[in-house]
Amino acid sequence: MSTNNDNQNALASDDVGDNAIEAKETEGLSQGKIVFRKFLRHKGAMISIGVFAFVALFAFSSVGFGPIPGWWIYNHTASGPIVNAGGAPTWSFSNFFSLGDHPFGQDEIGRDNFARVMKGTQISIIVMIIIGLVCLVIGTIVGAVAGYYRGWIDSLLMRITDGFIILPVIVIGSILGKMVGGANGPLLGLALGAILWTGLARLVRGDFMSLREREFVDSARVAGASDFRIMFKHMLPNAMGVIIVNTTLVMSQAIVLEAALSYLGFGIQAPGISLGQLISEYQTSFATRPWLFWWPGLFIIVIALCVNFIGDGLRDAFDPRMKTIPSWRKMKKAERMTQKEAK
Amino acid sequence: MTRFILRRLLSTALVLLVVTFVLYLLLNVALDFFWDLRSSTSPNIEALYESRRRLLDLDTPAIVRYFKWLAGVGGCVVGQCDFGIAWKSGQEVTSQLQGAIVNTVKLITASTIVAIVLGIAVGMVSAIRQYSGFDYFITFVSFLLYSLPVFWVAVLLKQYGAIEINNFINDPTLSSWVPIILVCIAMGLFWMGALGGSGKRRLITFLAATVITFATIYYILASGWLQHPSIGIVGIVVIGLGDAVVMTFLSTGLKNKRVLYASLTMAVIGALLYMPLQYLFYYQEMNWLWMLGLLIVTIGVAVGVGLAFRGPDPWDTVRTTFFTGLIIAVLIFADRVLQGWGDYSDQPAINNRPIATIGASTPNLEGDFWIANLDTFTHLLLPSIALILISFASYTRYTRGSMLEVMGQDYIRTARAKGLNERTVVMRHALRNALLPLASIIPVDIITMIGGAVITETIFGWNGMGKLFIDSMRQSELDPIMAYILITGLLAIIANLVADFLYAVLDPRIRVNA
Amino acid sequence: MTEQTNTAKSPVLDVKDLGVNFWVNDEWWMAAEDLNYTVNAGEVLAIVGESGSGKSQSSMSLLGLLPSNGRATGSAKMGGTELIGMPPEKMQQIRGNEISVIFQEPMTALNPVYTAGFQIVETLRVHLDVGPTEAKERALELMRLVEIPDPEERFHSFPHQLSGGQRQRIMIAQALACQPKLLIADEPTTALDVTVQAEILKLMRELKSKLDAGIILITHDMGVVADMADRMIVMKAGRVVESGNAEEIFYNPQHPYTKQLLEAVPHLGTAIEGEAFGADPAGVEDSAVVHETEASHGTADDVTTGGNDGGAHPPKSTLSPMVTEGGTDRVSGLAEAAEAAGESKHAHDIEMDSTETYYHPGSQADFSKPSALQLRDAAIEYPAIGRKKAFRAAHHINLMIAPGEVVGLVGESGSGKTTIGRAALGLLPTVEGDMVVNGKSIKGLSNKAMRPLRKEVGIVFQDPGSSLNPRLPVGESIGEPLYLHEGMKGPALSKRVEELLTAVELPTSMRNRYPHELSGGQRQRIGIARALTLRPKLLIADEPTSALDVSVQAKVLDLFEGLQQEYGFACLFISHDLAVIERIASRIAVMRHGYLVEIGKSSQVVANPVHPYTQRLLSAVPVPDPREQRKRREARDAVLEATANA
Repeated sequence: MSTNNDNQNALASDDVGDNAIEAKETEGLSQGKIVFRKFLRHKGAMISIGVFAFVALFAFSSVGFGPIPGWWIYNHTASGPIVNAGGAPTWSFSNFFSLGDHPFGQDEIGRDNFARVMKGTQISIIVMIIIGLVCLVIGTIVGAVAGYYRGWIDSLLMRITDGFIILPVIVIGSILGKMVGGANGPLLGLALGAILWTGLARLVRGDFMSLREREFVDSARVAGASDFRIMFKHMLPNAMGVIIVNTTLVMSQAIVLEAALSYLGFGIQAPGISLGQLISEYQTSFATRPWLFWWPGLFIIVIALCVNFIGDGLRDAFDPRMKTIPSWRKMKKAERMTQKEAK
Repeated sequence: MTRFILRRLLSTALVLLVVTFVLYLLLNVALDFFWDLRSSTSPNIEALYESRRRLLDLDTPAIVRYFKWLAGVGGCVVGQCDFGIAWKSGQEVTSQLQGAIVNTVKLITASTIVAIVLGIAVGMVSAIRQYSGFDYFITFVSFLLYSLPVFWVAVLLKQYGAIEINNFINDPTLSSWVPIILVCIAMGLFWMGALGGSGKRRLITFLAATVITFATIYYILASGWLQHPSIGIVGIVVIGLGDAVVMTFLSTGLKNKRVLYASLTMAVIGALLYMPLQYLFYYQEMNWLWMLGLLIVTIGVAVGVGLAFRGPDPWDTVRTTFFTGLIIAVLIFADRVLQGWGDYSDQPAINNRPIATIGASTPNLEGDFWIANLDTFTHLLLPSIALILISFASYTRYTRGSMLEVMGQDYIRTARAKGLNERTVVMRHALRNALLPLASIIPVDIITMIGGAVITETIFGWNGMGKLFIDSMRQSELDPIMAYILITGLLAIIANLVADFLYAVLDPRIRVNA
Repeated sequence: MTEQTNTAKSPVLDVKDLGVNFWVNDEWWMAAEDLNYTVNAGEVLAIVGESGSGKSQSSMSLLGLLPSNGRATGSAKMGGTELIGMPPEKMQQIRGNEISVIFQEPMTALNPVYTAGFQIVETLRVHLDVGPTEAKERALELMRLVEIPDPEERFHSFPHQLSGGQRQRIMIAQALACQPKLLIADEPTTALDVTVQAEILKLMRELKSKLDAGIILITHDMGVVADMADRMIVMKAGRVVESGNAEEIFYNPQHPYTKQLLEAVPHLGTAIEGEAFGADPAGVEDSAVVHETEASHGTADDVTTGGNDGGAHPPKSTLSPMVTEGGTDRVSGLAEAAEAAGESKHAHDIEMDSTETYYHPGSQADFSKPSALQLRDAAIEYPAIGRKKAFRAAHHINLMIAPGEVVGLVGESGSGKTTIGRAALGLLPTVEGDMVVNGKSIKGLSNKAMRPLRKEVGIVFQDPGSSLNPRLPVGESIGEPLYLHEGMKGPALSKRVEELLTAVELPTSMRNRYPHELSGGQRQRIGIARALTLRPKLLIADEPTSALDVSVQAKVLDLFEGLQQEYGFACLFISHDLAVIERIASRIAVMRHGYLVEIGKSSQVVANPVHPYTQRLLSAVPVPDPREQRKRREARDAVLEATANA
């Protein structure tokens, strides 16, 4: 028996060759670690995480959050004397580099634009995260149930998602926003989350449908697992990729949607504050005080771009077909080296 | 197939019905029908409330009112539409809708077509050049476009795309050459990345593209083209011949001389017909019926030329001459429209600020068919750019993803193993398979585009459905909102239907099975 | 290298020091190196090796079809032209014209949106200066050459409208379009059923003599090599371990790896004394003729005269089918012969499309006896999902497995064999008849009601990769049934898991690994361990070895046999591979199109098949022995001729 065993080991080691290239790459790592490592290699996503963390840290620490005070001297409501003509930004390069009192400028009644943009960023990020969480919960549950049980439950749930998809989100969003919006960010987030989950639900459903055909689901059932255990212990971890990636992408959509609704006047409205609301408030002053318009817009773009890139990095990391991006330069260089050696 | 489509149609229609019902009830809660009375100090305020309540039939429960509304809408089946009234302005919703639908469809159709064509082309090239600088650049640009808030872009477009350009047209002085040179180099890099090839070829592409861009810009500035834009006979000949060569390359490859000669012939015919057409346009008042007729003639000529050259595969030839002819026809049309530029700009209603920022057309404009068209185009320009920017990104991403997937399939390896060249592998074997999943994206994207139009129309004052929706929301007018929801839903259903049909045409697996 | 054969023929391809490398994780990873071989015109060179041996990649490098991170080194000359490093424009003229390829998956290797005819015409028109009409003529000619029925109609068919065999024929026609000098067949029959495989191989053999092209046959199947190859190369981990004349290597392998490989291949007919059905053309003819004669006459006595009436065969064969087929040495007694003759009376006029089950003596289901599994006139359906209608995949099945017995269930794809296995587990509903597992009927039971019964049934799935949850460490997968049924936790559970791992000959440290960190063979061992966790009375093994390389398969089968004896479970062993089934099962049941067509002791079915379909199936299995395979080939032609009329 022992020789048999040795033999088996010898053979086993070369039937690792069963696509040895992949085996080589994944040796000794759990699935989670592989995904994490691939994610770390995605430059765009790494830079985006850094930038996003920086923006979020700045937004929450500068003007303070809730009872916690921030380090910035102004807040978003108090108006002060207008420093530069028209409230123009005070930062300058004249003396190497100086920020001045109001680096992002002031509005027509002397409120500090930096404090306002930071506060707006705070609210926008909170709304974005609430939307993401709501989508995550509803989308996953609906998708999992529809994909697992199929039949009439699936038909019913999918018709419901059709109902949301048939109209642009901004239309349903405006109606819900008009009901719950005003100054309340979190409530708006809940409402928008309740309409943005449909895409995630469809994808999770598709994933569950194909996972359901996998043999490990049958083998769990044969082992005596209940439906609930099969769905949440066996299938859900395998669908995590789709869920995480798409929740991220929904969040990038969410921040732009929130801004658009606030701009149209159906989202957050003064005295509430958010990035979209700031643009809406200052759109007419674009010709006279462009900084009031540029800064909130810039922050929307930076946040959405970061979240998009993080989502892209996650997608690449979770996609099993996606091999590590080969470094062409290194490959060509190595080729030249070996050719030289041959000579 | 028909059964499948009918079933889909019926189930979506039912879904739409349920959606209107739910939203009707929600709107009854969301809208404040007395908003204008809240701050009123009028002594007879009670009576005003009462009359408003009677006007809007608010004492009837909302559910009953929904069915009343539905009955009115149901009248459309027998030609007796009743969408209700917009109470604030007192207008019939039906009359509000007429112009609005046309305007929105115009805007969305134009944007969708341009976005699809550009998106697919760029996405395809990006996939073929995977992991190249070009690919990374396109990826970055599409993410950037995803992240742009439409309303923000629209305001910028108004400022830089219209006001500044109009200023420049009136006062063409250039403050610095630096931005122009940067643009030229950027174009050079773009084409270098897109066309690829060996190091030497890339260098040549870069230089050629940079020089050509510079020459074009220089010509435009030096000749005052912006003040009197036109294509002219020379432009038609040059662009036409280039068009013939490119079309032949894409369709059958330049090796196929017969097809090349056929499409070149097409370009020459176009150039020869240029002058006679100018006389026709001069002496005959044109309209869209005429245009349609001329288009049919063009197609006839193209098919005729194609069949005359025949070759071993007459239909390949016809396909090439068809697309060549189509582009030349569009060129001649554009040339004639541009000829009216001077007259158009000088009109008092325009006042030498040709690029419009507000509305769908200039009121009190005098002019013939060509001027009216030019006016439409100048108004269409900015809002459609705003819309295109957003869906261009999604088409690019989808095409790229789907193309990459297809390029990894076994049948692509088979095609290569047969000895097909790369152009045939991509254009014949990969592209068609890659476009199949796109058919299911188009309706989704059109719905997104309708959503985008809500914002764009509001900002550009484009009197379409979107603006109608927002205005009615602001004024708490229930009936126009419901009309908007119903019609947008129907548009979405139609888009879905078209996509299903496209899918069936493109994919033999569905066509034959059902 | 020994090259005595075909020295007269001119070499088409001359490969020297060919190597293939892949750029992975910033370093070159060797896929193949130091390959040296020549291919002569009119000769088949087989490259044999298990997965990952580099056999396929090295051949693709000849055409420059490596993935973008691959590169080829060395030299491959074709008539003086160097192929390695050839610029793409030139290579395009070689591909499909001088060298063409037949790929493995006919399902995916044809473009789904173009017709079969168009894809052949396309190849013709790329390389030859012909017009569409002429190209179509030639394409039709090629389709006739590869024996496609109704070529005019099939010309306009899309790939999804063709069967797997027809698609592969289209691939071949396309590959032959420009009369290439070299044909690379990359596992051309691996994805096909065994009877279709036999047809394709036959076609390729005929074409080889007609076309005078050199053929490189890449395969892992020793039977196919024995059937086709003139010379062969054995590869292991990117290197050649042995090369030379095929027959010589088969009968006198030198390298230990080759020996091991040949030993590992299950050989149909080894479990019975004498030869399997189909080994002797004469025997086959006789059995075939018996059909005709028995149809008109009724008794064993009549067979003798009937045989003479038939006139097409020697009289010695007409005693009874059982005697003639295996040769006279297998007559164990007059009684058996008589019994066989007696049974043949009502059996031997079976038609090809007959759906009735033929029971060999001793295999009729007796439902009064205790059994591990009973199917009583059972019908099984895939339930309707949405608009998709319910599909009945098995009809009127009568089958019984005694406690501790291993029954093999064999059939081609779509025959419904897996359906029966899944139904026995309650994963598919039994809609008619009854399904009794370990004495309890499971018909119509819900998932919940099934749960206590599941303790007594285990399953081993086909694909060890997908039957283990990729996100759970394998130890947890093995322990799950114990946790769910017996509430076992903590140290007791880990002790049991370790015991099971030892039982399947894996180190206990593997329990913390994830499935993708294990090799295919190791994963399948885990699959077996998991199935045995609760010591089931019945085990369903659904193609447990078909995803494995032969040498790994041999080890897993050994292990399986050992465990079966130790644990004493009854087993329904499902496979498409008759040789594997014969080795492991005491009885064999044959399925076709959802019907059970024949069941009997392994020796009975293998040596003395009665249903024409079983005969076809048996004769189609290639054996890893060139001489015997040659005989079987002739026998098979006889079977085809005979069963075509049956």
